[in-house]
Amino acid sequence: MNARPRIARCVPACATFALLCGAIPLVVHAQSLPDWSGYWIGEGLASEISGFPGPGANYKMLTRDTPWNAEGLARLAAAGQRQADQKANGWGFPLMMNSGAPLQFLVTPDETLIINVYRDVRHVYTDGRDHPAEEDRWPTTWGDSVGRWEGDTLVIDTVSVRNPNRYFFSSPPLSEQAHYVERIRMTSPDRIESVMTIEDAVTLSAPWVLNLVYERARELDRMINDDYDNDRSEVEDGFFTIVPPEE
Amino acid sequence: MIAKRWLLLFASSWLVLPLDVHAHHSPAMFDFSKQLTLTGTVRLFQWTNPHSYIQLIVKADDGAEHEWSLEMGTNAYLYNLGWRPSTVKAGDMLTVTVVPLRSGKLGAGLLVEAKTADGKTLGANP
Repeated sequence: MNARPRIARCVPACATFALLCGAIPLVVHAQSLPDWSGYWIGEGLASEISGFPGPGANYKMLTRDTPWNAEGLARLAAAGQRQADQKANGWGFPLMMNSGAPLQFLVTPDETLIINVYRDVRHVYTDGRDHPAEEDRWPTTWGDSVGRWEGDTLVIDTVSVRNPNRYFFSSPPLSEQAHYVERIRMTSPDRIESVMTIEDAVTLSAPWVLNLVYERARELDRMINDDYDNDRSEVEDGFFTIVPPEE
Repeated sequence: MIAKRWLLLFASSWLVLPLDVHAHHSPAMFDFSKQLTLTGTVRLFQWTNPHSYIQLIVKADDGAEHEWSLEMGTNAYLYNLGWRPSTVKAGDMLTVTVVPLRSGKLGAGLLVEAKTADGKTLGANP
């Protein structure tokens, strides 16, 4: 018997085995993913023309209800002392998930991308992988995220997030040991709800549970990304002022 | 009324803990307890990131002209409110409500409301 027929017989068996192992993605899997297309803004956080949200804006990551421990409170006080002349190039994680900056959820079988107008990008891998080994990962502004689908709910596990307050001057000053779990689900065509649970033995005395809501952006028909090419704020006597335009 | 709304917002958050939020820079530069109303002519509209700006020429009672640099949100936020780069043009007459700088320095501030000469408010509030 020559080798050719033997290989031919092996191919269907190998393909079946690969499908069973998940090595070949099934088309039906993609079809079953929820449609979260469009653009989304944190409930009640859409900015007015000033760049600030309206009165009553509920920034849930900036409340006094956070279960800070002594270290967390000390970090919070220190952050408050140095923020007058601070700038940020985006929001970073986790604040980008509770902000007025429009978000996009790009859902694919292998990963979900979460993107905002400041080019904050999260890659949430849903292909079955785990986080890299602890010794092979390092803290970043957006952390390392893996996810899984439980029906129509995307469950995201995020670790290795650099102290968010280092990136954005009013972000919660959590430690790099913080562990974030989000359960995100579309509850109506114009509403996505998320429950984020943060555990951080360094700065929190108990798990911090945040109920976040994203509403469909009313007028946004495209993601506006633009360069930071017109920063006219400069420090003068400890506070920013606005300098004249370059002509 | 608007001033009271701003005061309430910040008294309930930023003045108690470091809770203010403004992409790019801290809002501590503005004195949210005060507001000014200015009427003038647009010299320049900058549709930019991290902020958009309107340069407004305001004529004083003595006839002297003063230019104000009025900061707004980033163009992405304005887009979501229905603004476009063509919404404001040089030569347009505007009446604006401005939160002044905390330093007391005149000629710059945060734009919180803009009305056209016929009284139409530009940009819908969320």
